[in-house]
Amino acid sequence: MRPEIYQYNFDWMLWRAIQAAGKLADGSEKETEKMLRYIPYFRKTAEVFIGMGKPGITYLKLIEKYLDNIVTAHEKGKKIVMTTFCFSPSIFYAMDIVPVTLEVMTVIGSALWKRGTTDYMDYCVELGFTETSCSSQRGSLGAYLAGLGEDIDLIVTNTAGVCDTNANAFAFTQKYLDKPFYSLNYPAGLTDNPTNQYHRDDFRALIEFLESHTGTTLDQDRLRAVLDETAKQEAIVAEIEELQRLVPNPLPVTFNFIIYGGRFFFAGMPEYTELLSDMAEVVKDNAQNGRSGITSGNEKKRAFFFYIDHYTLSLSLWDWLDRHGISHIGSILSRSFKDDQPYMKGMEDVAYSIDTTDLDTMIDSIAMINSRMPMVRSIRGPYDRPNMWGEESLALARIYQADCLIYNGTPGCRNTWSNVKLLAGDLEKAGYPTHVMYGDAFDERVESWEATAARLEEFFTIRGLL
Amino acid sequence: MITPFREAAAQIANAYVEDRVSSGEQTVGYTCSFMPPEIFHAAGILPYRIRGIETESMEIGDAYYGPYVCTFPKCLLQLAGQGKYSFLSGAVISTGCDAMRRLDECWRKAAEDYPDALPEFFHYFDVPHKTDPHAMSWFKDEIRRLIAAVSSHYGVTITDDNLKSAIACYNRGRELLLELEALRAAEDMVISGTDAFAVAVAGTVMPRQRFNEHLEALLNELRTAAPEPADGRKRILVTGSINDDMDLVRLIEETGAIVVADSICFGIRSAADMVSTDGDPVDALAERYLSNSVCPRMFGAYDQRFATLREKAERTGTEGVILQNIRFCDMHGSENSLIENDFEAMGIACLKLEREYGPLTETGRMKMRIEAFLERIS
Repeated sequence: MRPEIYQYNFDWMLWRAIQAAGKLADGSEKETEKMLRYIPYFRKTAEVFIGMGKPGITYLKLIEKYLDNIVTAHEKGKKIVMTTFCFSPSIFYAMDIVPVTLEVMTVIGSALWKRGTTDYMDYCVELGFTETSCSSQRGSLGAYLAGLGEDIDLIVTNTAGVCDTNANAFAFTQKYLDKPFYSLNYPAGLTDNPTNQYHRDDFRALIEFLESHTGTTLDQDRLRAVLDETAKQEAIVAEIEELQRLVPNPLPVTFNFIIYGGRFFFAGMPEYTELLSDMAEVVKDNAQNGRSGITSGNEKKRAFFFYIDHYTLSLSLWDWLDRHGISHIGSILSRSFKDDQPYMKGMEDVAYSIDTTDLDTMIDSIAMINSRMPMVRSIRGPYDRPNMWGEESLALARIYQADCLIYNGTPGCRNTWSNVKLLAGDLEKAGYPTHVMYGDAFDERVESWEATAARLEEFFTIRGLL
Repeated sequence: MITPFREAAAQIANAYVEDRVSSGEQTVGYTCSFMPPEIFHAAGILPYRIRGIETESMEIGDAYYGPYVCTFPKCLLQLAGQGKYSFLSGAVISTGCDAMRRLDECWRKAAEDYPDALPEFFHYFDVPHKTDPHAMSWFKDEIRRLIAAVSSHYGVTITDDNLKSAIACYNRGRELLLELEALRAAEDMVISGTDAFAVAVAGTVMPRQRFNEHLEALLNELRTAAPEPADGRKRILVTGSINDDMDLVRLIEETGAIVVADSICFGIRSAADMVSTDGDPVDALAERYLSNSVCPRMFGAYDQRFATLREKAERTGTEGVILQNIRFCDMHGSENSLIENDFEAMGIACLKLEREYGPLTETGRMKMRIEAFLERIS
């Protein structure tokens, strides 16, 4: 790693930068404009959030709080858990444990710095990771392995059985940092009784692990509060995502990103509820006025990303979509699959429900929530089995009236790269023009954004979509 | 007496498989060492570990798998698409790793374009990645589900007695492999690493009873054979990604080393772990196949794996360790670095070697690196 990178703590740098960004809109327009000149690289990203109005500012402040929690956790006597994006942080909040979610930290760094998080990615390789390991973990993990972040107290992941490279990154870290480690492990099935029972048993064992390594006991009232808040949040998300079915789609292109990002940061916490309420106001207003969320007001096409989005400086993907009049109608990360979401009609088996009757039902509920998180829900079994990646992608594409489907991931994704060609073929057969992006969502060195954009342009043009 | 092993290990459609085809007996392929072959043995079916040797091109493998995927499953798919596995009446795809478990979909989809590529019996065997009691319970259920599927498809009855008999037969093979492993590590050379590896590979594609008979005969011969002086050849342990190709071991030995031990899928990795012959045979199989955590697919069990490797290195007087991984095999690739750190700290030199699976197209590069490594430890 370059010597200068060693001079600053990764999480502290992110925290201070986002804290400053969150305050940008507090001043007058002139003051904000002057300030933006001092952040030439982060400027476009900051402008996206400021331009969004209240939801964008609320989102920056939410990220700041998330980072503040991390850098002050030990001062406050709290334990820090290293975890992954497809693990709902609710259980940690219910037990007053502070989560560091590697992938979201990588996304923040990628969107914030011109160099992205590539120094940290490469540091993982210096320590022995394969260069083909997933960049989404490496982008922030390298910092923690180099001691450039708050000390991690324990490690929890849930990708065994779903994503080898993810689970492997955490297993490597367990050994390298010598920390307690627990991995939920998902079977190939999702809805059958043995699988449901397994989810419950595994989650109860996780709670025992958390209690034994943090000295915290799971508090029933606190868990109930987190689950009640989650239910409230998902009700607002349901309203927003139901309106997303309208043509034109009233959601600004970045709203999907903010919905799932907020969930990864603060699921079950009031901060996220506030953000969603701000977003719902914007969406409802657009819908009532028949207005598209696209800046130009002209929705030309609707794209469903059947894996993840692309996170580079200036949020270039969303900017590109917006400029081309393409509405982003979600990705694998977007939807929660709660039982009362309108899109669950016809997919009831897959849904989770929240039951706060007693501690047992609450633990069952939170185990279900986790088993329905993105990726672990639908890429665990063969993609063409019921409820898995193929069926889910097609169902969502139909419900949200997609004109095309797009795959984007990372070269580290052994799982989806092993069957994306098959699924893309099925989607084409079902009548959806489908584009497979070969870049890296977190590392522009694999393919520059300009090249990625040129390929998108080519796809939309050749397939007659634009 | 080594000839039957060399022959069986050197080709996909070996003589035993051909015999079974001509006599109308069944052979079922499987893809992972966490799948208990005893189940098929108990049903009178030959369990055959599906291999990638004999691959000469990759147009089928590359057509269904994406580009960022290990070449081993691509080779298996290539051969299946070409009809090389037409002697299989069934196949069991396990969740060994992400690329291997996706062989399930890739094979099924390829069969839409390559008629007859897919065996009639095609089963997905879901193996947990940890050994907690609830994971063990899941694994036992999976074994029972497999037994039920085999019984139903092939019209056979797999009784507890059949299973116990199969377990005894496989345990006998493990005892013999352990003796072979001890002979392989003798100070002067009784059997080359290449031949010892051939025996282990052959054990995955031969009827177990025949394998045991041949191995007993080979061991009788080796016990009294005059050893070949080691002549200062360096004693090497090979570990890392899956390998069923004798040429890799041969390449190492031709550079002036002796491969005295291995810890590779297809090799003599876990022969010491016997299946209990007491109690419920399904429980016994589950305990043995899941508990030994020999592969990095068992996340968080590195210390257990390294303890086994260290014991093996110490017992065999290993002077150097070759840690090879197939490109895109992140689990072995990353774990190799941890192993390297730990062995180097013990004073045992290591060479990390990334490679492609398949015909050794990189022989020159690999040979040069191995030679440099042997120079380093000389």
